[in-house]
Amino acid sequence: MRNFIPPRLRRPLLVALAGAVFAVAWVVRGGATWWISILVVVVTAVRVTVVYVRAGQDTDEGALAGSRADERLKLLAAQSWAVAGKVAIAAAFIGLTIAIAVRSSWLWPFALMIGVTLLGYLFGLSNYGVGAQDPADEQAGAEDGAPFPVS
Amino acid sequence: MRNRVREQRRQRGLSQAEVAVALGVSRQTVISIESGRYLPSLPLAFRIARFFDLPVEKLFDPDDEEAGT
Repeated sequence: MRNFIPPRLRRPLLVALAGAVFAVAWVVRGGATWWISILVVVVTAVRVTVVYVRAGQDTDEGALAGSRADERLKLLAAQSWAVAGKVAIAAAFIGLTIAIAVRSSWLWPFALMIGVTLLGYLFGLSNYGVGAQDPADEQAGAEDGAPFPVS
Repeated sequence: MRNRVREQRRQRGLSQAEVAVALGVSRQTVISIESGRYLPSLPLAFRIARFFDLPVEKLFDPDDEEAGT
């Protein structure tokens, strides 16, 4: 289905969807703070416009926003997400440690974050082939560095 | 690692944007490769070599790196 959406629209649509879900959450919550959903819709509309305009620019940010990243940008994005993941798990660990130290009851969100991040890491390892190594070539002389087969 | 991508591109009178379109990468990636800030993957290195009709070792020279180690 993703292929039916033009690349330039993919990121803006994702932002719009996330904003809509967040706004609905505020409406469902109800009470005196329902107006925050209107604020969320306005901010989301501005953000969608910014992302769409940026997606049309001939820059690295534009290529990422426009879903047309090449191998260098994909690598940069993967490295940036790796940093983000490390920062997130470090923050969760610090939060969990503090919550335990002060005997707080709100330690579970930190534990959940750590658990989900670790599961995501394990899923990544599994998804990208760790543990599915090819068997070694047992033929004599086929080892790395051998200049010719040894009989 | 030193490369001769910029030199070859200029010899052929091509812009970075034209090379980028031919290789299917962004102009910024061509700039990064030319300046040596980004080492292309093996498939992309071969695509570049084929584009310039040169062996890959004529475009990318690891000697600088070896000399430094």
